[in-house]
Order: sequence, then C-alpha cells, then structure tokens
Amino acid sequence: MRPLDEKETTAVFEKLFKFTGPNLKHIVERLATEGPDEAPGRYCFRLHKNRVYYASESIIRRATNISRDRLVSIGTCIGKYTNSGFFRLTIQSLDLLAAHARHKVWLKPTAELSFLYGNAVLKGGLARITDNTHAGDGVVVYSMSDVPLGFGVAARSTQDCRKADANAIVVNHQADVGEYLRNEEEL
Amino acid sequence: MGKKKKVILPPQLPPDIPDEEIEVSEEDLDFVNKNIEYAGFLSKLDANLINRHVTRVADYKEDELEALYEKKKRKASLKKSKEEGLQVDRVDALPIKTLEGELCYRTVEESKIAHKESGSASEVKDTDSDKGLVKLTKAERRQKLKKSKKEAKRKAKEEVKETVAEGGLHSDVLAKVEEDLSAQDLFARKKIKLAEVGMALLEDPESNIKSLKELLHICIDEDHNIIKLGLMSLLAVFKDIIPGYRIRLPTEKELEMKVSKDVQKTRFYESTLLNSYKAYLLKLMAFEKDPSFHCIAVRCMCILLDAVPHFNFRENLVAAVVRNISSSDDVVRKLCCETIRSVFTNEGKHGGQVNFEAVRLIAELVKAHDCQLHPDSIEVFLSLVFDEDLGKSEPKEEKKEKLSKKKKRKQHLEQSNQLLVSEGKRRKHELMTKTREELSADLKSVSFAPDSDERRRTQSEILSAVFGTYFRILKHCMNTSFQRPMLNDISSSIGLVHHPLLGPCLLGLGKFSHLIDLDFMGDLMHCLKKLAGHSDSDNDNPSVSLTVSEKLQCCIVAFRVMRNNLDALNVDLQEFFVQLYNLLLEYRPFRDRGDVLAEALKTMLWEGKQHDMHRAAAFVKRLATFALSFGSAEGMAALVTLKHLLLRNSKCRNLLENDPGGGSLSGLVVKYKADATDPHLSGALASVLWELSLLSKHYNPSISGMASSISSKRGSEFVIIDAEKVRSLESEMDEDVIERKFEEHFIVLRDIEENEKLRLELNKTSSALRLYEEYKQQRKLKQKRKQKKQNGG
Repeated sequence: MRPLDEKETTAVFEKLFKFTGPNLKHIVERLATEGPDEAPGRYCFRLHKNRVYYASESIIRRATNISRDRLVSIGTCIGKYTNSGFFRLTIQSLDLLAAHARHKVWLKPTAELSFLYGNAVLKGGLARITDNTHAGDGVVVYSMSDVPLGFGVAARSTQDCRKADANAIVVNHQADVGEYLRNEEEL
Repeated sequence: MGKKKKVILPPQLPPDIPDEEIEVSEEDLDFVNKNIEYAGFLSKLDANLINRHVTRVADYKEDELEALYEKKKRKASLKKSKEEGLQVDRVDALPIKTLEGELCYRTVEESKIAHKESGSASEVKDTDSDKGLVKLTKAERRQKLKKSKKEAKRKAKEEVKETVAEGGLHSDVLAKVEEDLSAQDLFARKKIKLAEVGMALLEDPESNIKSLKELLHICIDEDHNIIKLGLMSLLAVFKDIIPGYRIRLPTEKELEMKVSKDVQKTRFYESTLLNSYKAYLLKLMAFEKDPSFHCIAVRCMCILLDAVPHFNFRENLVAAVVRNISSSDDVVRKLCCETIRSVFTNEGKHGGQVNFEAVRLIAELVKAHDCQLHPDSIEVFLSLVFDEDLGKSEPKEEKKEKLSKKKKRKQHLEQSNQLLVSEGKRRKHELMTKTREELSADLKSVSFAPDSDERRRTQSEILSAVFGTYFRILKHCMNTSFQRPMLNDISSSIGLVHHPLLGPCLLGLGKFSHLIDLDFMGDLMHCLKKLAGHSDSDNDNPSVSLTVSEKLQCCIVAFRVMRNNLDALNVDLQEFFVQLYNLLLEYRPFRDRGDVLAEALKTMLWEGKQHDMHRAAAFVKRLATFALSFGSAEGMAALVTLKHLLLRNSKCRNLLENDPGGGSLSGLVVKYKADATDPHLSGALASVLWELSLLSKHYNPSISGMASSISSKRGSEFVIIDAEKVRSLESEMDEDVIERKFEEHFIVLRDIEENEKLRLELNKTSSALRLYEEYKQQRKLKQKRKQKKQNGG
C-alpha cells in the first residue's frame, strides 16, 4: 500500500473530474466520518495491488499494522489499473460519484433492466437528462426513484439528444450495479 | 399664437367729490374715536401709489396706456353714436347681457359692434379648434371651417376700417398697432386660405389635386403657427384622400402608349398625389430635426403610418418613427411606441411587410445604440402576433396540390391517349390551360392578400430578427456584467451596470419561447445560465451586476423555454436550481420584487415534474429557514411550496421525524451544512425541520395554521390539497384573531401607559388646587393689610 505518485494521481483525478467537475474539491477535502479519532481527518487515495482505494486517514494509519500481502482492502475501492496501465473506475465508486455528480441521467423503468445487464442507454429509455451535458462527459445513471444504477460516458449532448431517434445511444456503459452479481470474483 | 395681449383697464372711478362736501355723521366719528388703534393703517397709506394702481394699469408705459385709453373712448363713442343712430325698438325685444356685462339691444341690423367684441375671442377659439382638427369628423370640420372663415372675414373688414378711422394721432404707436394688426390679419388670411384649399380638396380631390402644391407652399412660412397648422391640415387631407392601394407610377413604355382621357386623368391625379406626398414627407423629415417642430412632425408621421401603412414611402415613415422610438421625450416615445404597436397588431392593413421592416429597423437601432435604449422600444415586440398554424397547414396543402396535379396529369395522359388522333383538339386544350394558368398567376400578383407561402417567409424573417435582437441584448448584458468586475475590482460591488432592455427582453423570450429554433436553444440556455449567476469554476467572481429579481427572471424564462419546447425529452435544469437555491438567501423583501420570487418558486418547484430527493430536501430545509426569517407574504409562499415538495417527495418526509441523521438516505454528507451552495451537498436529509414548530406560533394565523398542518401530518396522512384552498387561506386574514393575540401581548403595556396618564392628571389637579389655596391666602392677607391701613388712616 502506498500513496499515488504524480502520474497516477492525475490519472485518477482526471477520471473523477469527468464525473464530478468542480465538485472534485469536495471529494478531496471531505472530513472523514469513519474511525475512532476525535479530530476528523481527511480522505486520501492509496494504491494497493493495482487497485486505488479511497479511505480516511485514521483507517489508513491502522491499516499499516497489517502486512502487505495480507491486506485485502481498505476503505472504498474506486478503481483499478488494468494490465495495460490504464486507470478504470469500478462500480464500487458509484456512491462517491453519485453524491458529487454533475451530469445525471434518469432511466425509464423499462430500460433499467437492459442497463443492468451491461447495455448502453438508448434514447428510448431516457426519462430525464441534466441540461448542458456534452458528449464525453461522465454521467451517473439513476432509476426514476433516484437510486444510482451505474455510470457511463455521454455519447451525445443534451442538444443532440433531442433530435436523435429512439434507438440512438445516449450513454455508453462503463459500470453498473449488475456487476456485483456478474463479476463477483473480479471485484 | 395670435393671442392679443389683453390689457385690463381699471374701472371708472367714482366722481370726485371735494372733501368739504362730504358729511360725516357723529356716529361715525364716535366709532373712529373708539377704535382709534385700528385706524392706524390709514395714516400709513400712500395715496400716490394707490392712485397709480387704480387709475393706471400697472407696469404699462405711459404712451401705450394713453393709446389704449383713446381706443377705448373711441369705441365707446362709436357705440354711442351707433346706438343713437340706430332705431332701437326697445319694446320689441329684451336686451342681452354679454359676458362683459354690456347690454346689447337687438336692432334692425345685426350689430357689428357685438361681433367686434367677440372677434378677438373667436380668434383664440379658432386656433384652438384648428389644432383639434384631426380628431373631428369631416362634417364637423367643414362647419367649423366655414364658421371660422366667415368670422375671420368680418373681422378683417372691421379691422381695416378701424385702422383707417384711427387717423395719425400718435404716429409711432399707430405704426406699431398697424404692424400688429397686419400680422394678425396675415395670419388670419393664411388660415382662411388653408381652410379653403383643404375644404376644396376634401370635397373633390380629383379636380382640385393641384392645390396640394399650394398647401405645401403655405407651409414654407416664417410663422411657426402657420407651419404647424399647414402640416396638420395637410395630414388631414392626405389621410383622407390616399387610396387603399399602392400607386405604381407608369413606366415610360406605358406613357408612350395612347390612353383614354379617363386613364390620363387618373394617371395625372395619382402622380400629383404621389409627388406632393413625397414632398410632404420630405418636409416632415426636415422638420423632425428642428427642435421646435420635432413633436408635431413626429406626430404627423405616426398618424400617417398608422392610417396608411400600405401606401408608398412607408419604409421612410417606418424608419422615421423607429428612429424616435427611444426618444427621451416621453410624449414622442409613447406616440411612436403606440404607432408601432398598432402597426404590429393591424397586420391585415399592410400584409406583414411593414412588420418586418419595423422589426429590422428596431434591431438595427438596438445594435447601433449598444443596447442602451429605453425599455419601451423593445416592449413593442410583445404585441407582435405570430400565426402558428401557418407552417403546419402548408405542407398538407402542397401535398394535396401535388396529388391533384398527379391526378390531372394522369387524366391528361389518359385523355391524350384517347385523343391521340385529334391533334388539333389537343393543341387547343393545351392553349386553354396555358392561358388559364397565366390568368391565375396574374390574379395572384394583383390580389392584395399575399399567399401564405410568402407570409410564412416574412414571418420567419421577423422571428429571426426579433430573436436576434433578444440574443444581442442577452450577450451584451453578459459581456458587460462579466467585464465589469475585471475592469474595476474595487467598485465592482458598488457599481451596478444598468441593463434597461433586459426586462422586456426576458418577457419577450418567455412569450415567444415556443417559437425558438432548437438550434438556438443551447446558446440561449448558456446565456441565461451565465446571467443567472452561474460560474463554471469556483474562483470566478459571481457577477454582481444583475439584481436578484433579474436573476430570478432569467431562471423563470429558462424554465418556460424548456417546458414549452420539450415534450419528448425531459431535461433537468440542475444549474438553475442551484442558482435559485442560492438566490433564496440573497433575497431581501424591500429591495427585490416578491412577486418574481413567488413566480420563480411556482414555475421551478411546483410545476417541475420530478425532483431529486436530495435537492428537494435541501429546498424544503431552505424554504423553511426562509419562511422563518421574512414577512408573512414571503413566508406563506415558501410554506406552500414546501408543502407541495413534501407531498411530491415521500422520502423527504423524513425531515419531519424527530431524529436527526437521516439514516441511510442522507448519503455521504452526514451533517447538515446550511451554507452549502449546492443543494446536493447540503446534507439536508440529515436535518430536522424544527422551523415548522416555531412557525406554528407565528402571529399570522394562516401561517401558523399552515405550519402546524404540515408538521402534524406525517407519512401516509398527507392528502393533496387543491391550490384554491391554499390561495383562499393565503388571502383570508382573520383580523380578530390577530387582534386578540396582539391584545394579549400589549395589554400590560397599555395598562402602564394608562396608569402614567392618570397619575399625570392627578398631579396637575393637585398642583392647581394648591396654587389656588395659596392665591386665596395671599388675597386674604392683602385685604387684611388694606383694612389695617384704612383703620390706621
């Protein structure tokens, strides 16, 4: 377990920034609510076995007591480095992203299942979309009852969505809560 | 004006009586002696001053005065001689008392003197009536003109007589008077001329069309009044005789052709009319630049544009009117705006072309003046009418036509197949159809109503011009509001940039939002967002230049635009909600407009279909805080919205529970942050709506009732309350209950006050009594002393 170096930090922050925009500041500066310490510390990012964890300082301090090969996980895993060296956000980061997301998409109840199987969001399944979304922005996908279902990348802007036909892809799938079942062993 | 300065001559003094002859009764003497102190002012009187004021007219030169007196005397003598000379049949009729108090006897002839007296008065009247000419009907006008003519003639005669009779007594004075009289005479004559020519023109415009030039000639004069009268009478004439069509001057080719007499006559008539109209307009344009004639010239042009928007040279008229549309003169601006508005609404008069012209010119004006105009000039756009069905019905018709054409072609083909043998017949048929088509095309070009295709085109052009103007204003507001803080950082908080056009612009956008092209929408939203105070990065200074109401209006317009355009896609305007969330804190009841706030709450929070749970909770919390800190009207608005939000979002009702923390719903933010700028990060779900329990003790019974009803109903108990009931609740204010409450509060205070008053009175009476006692004692003492002295003496 080690802090991220500069290159890794930029990679992680770039990914997060896509989803949260200026709210990234809140993610980094949040006061910790976990741990027994009197003074709440900050949250920080740690790299462990190719995975990036988001954990409060007090937990990290305590985690140093455990040897590297025995440590399975600390805090929340938000992403991992692929074998080819790219950083990917995993589905565990959904809560963090949903709380700070700038662009959101709400799905119609009929389209939820399709998205949870790992498919992209089509125009026909779109119930609501945040204004001013541009192509390439990170988007958090919600059900109509405001439960976050996953996240992805907008394939077209809000403007273009209006003109698109019902079968056009609006959000490209990146991760969804269905993965907890489908890829249980990988997570 | 030709008003003669009337000199009020003093009344005749009572005949002088020498002092000796005056008898003074003894009673009078007694009275004076008794009240001698009141008679003091008599000694201070300045006899000379009084004499001067009574016998002379104050502030007039001696010789002038003399002349006046002489005139008066002469008049009197003239009258006397006439009266003596005339055989007055006094028994025959009762005398008439004029306004001046003279007695007029009906004589055999019509007394000229009476006319003379009324001459000066009628002159004043004349000018007045001439001014009001425009509003009179034709018949009335004719009568007036005739009357005024007669009177003026008579007067002129008399005045000539008078001048002749006067004979050179005081030559210089005479010269002056003569000059004055001749000027008046000239004025009257010119007026008569104007009236005559105008009458003739109105009676028979065809034969008297030449006299238009005469009228125009009269307008070149030194006397301003004559010019004004001339302009007005020309306006009346033109308004009446301009035909209901556009005059097209014949081409040279057409001129060469031989035509009948009638046609020639009409051609001559039309060309003269057109030429003189052109000259008149040129004159008006020239006078428009002259400050003394500015008002009347603009008025003439406005009336002309309103009355004959179809006629030639309307472009120039529109241009002139638009030029004055944001004039600093209130009257002129109102006039121009009214005219443009009526042009917009009465589209049928000119077929929409003038609309486009006016809109284009206004757009250019806005561009030229860098958006610093009076808001009235943009407000006229609001009265534009757009036919929404135009675009939709057209394609269908075209299809039908195409279908029918196809059918025709089919029929034609069949026919031709059948009639292949008879070539001659077919040719004839073709010729027939050809001529028919030509005829219909001709008819189309001649008929006044433009076809819907053209109308659609002009309408789209108008629309694009209007929206272009609106965007220009928005962009301008944005630029100035964002440059300001950079230019002068210190004064940025104080120096408010004024955007006069923003208000009407936003109104217009709201009204025509359903007509905006989807391509524009993105830009528009971006502009509105910027104006509402959104900044992309956190280090940016929020723009300070717009007031809270204006920002709220931006939010409202954005929502309207979205709602009107989006049936298919539901877009969540998150940024605007963030703005509203923050603006709620900036609102101040006396600085900002409460109705705008209520409107914003209604459009954004009531009518929006769904809300995020976190956002709704944040708004609920903030509205409760808001209701607590402002007056009852704002509080009511906030509470009604709050109730609505709670009804819609069942999860937010957790706020009504007594335990803070919010459980699993509260998300990542565990503690409520009241100062968060983003409703999503405020963690409102972790809080409790304690404000409601405070509000249920509000002095206003409707608010307290509302608050307690919200806080008492939990979970499933919520029933939807119709808006009517809420409104009635809002309006009804049970005065008695309030009074009772106030009474309870202030009853103690009042008691204290009353006690103090009573005590004061008591003190006063007791002190008075004491004084009286003392007085009595002293008096007794004095009397005793006197008695002793007397006894001693």
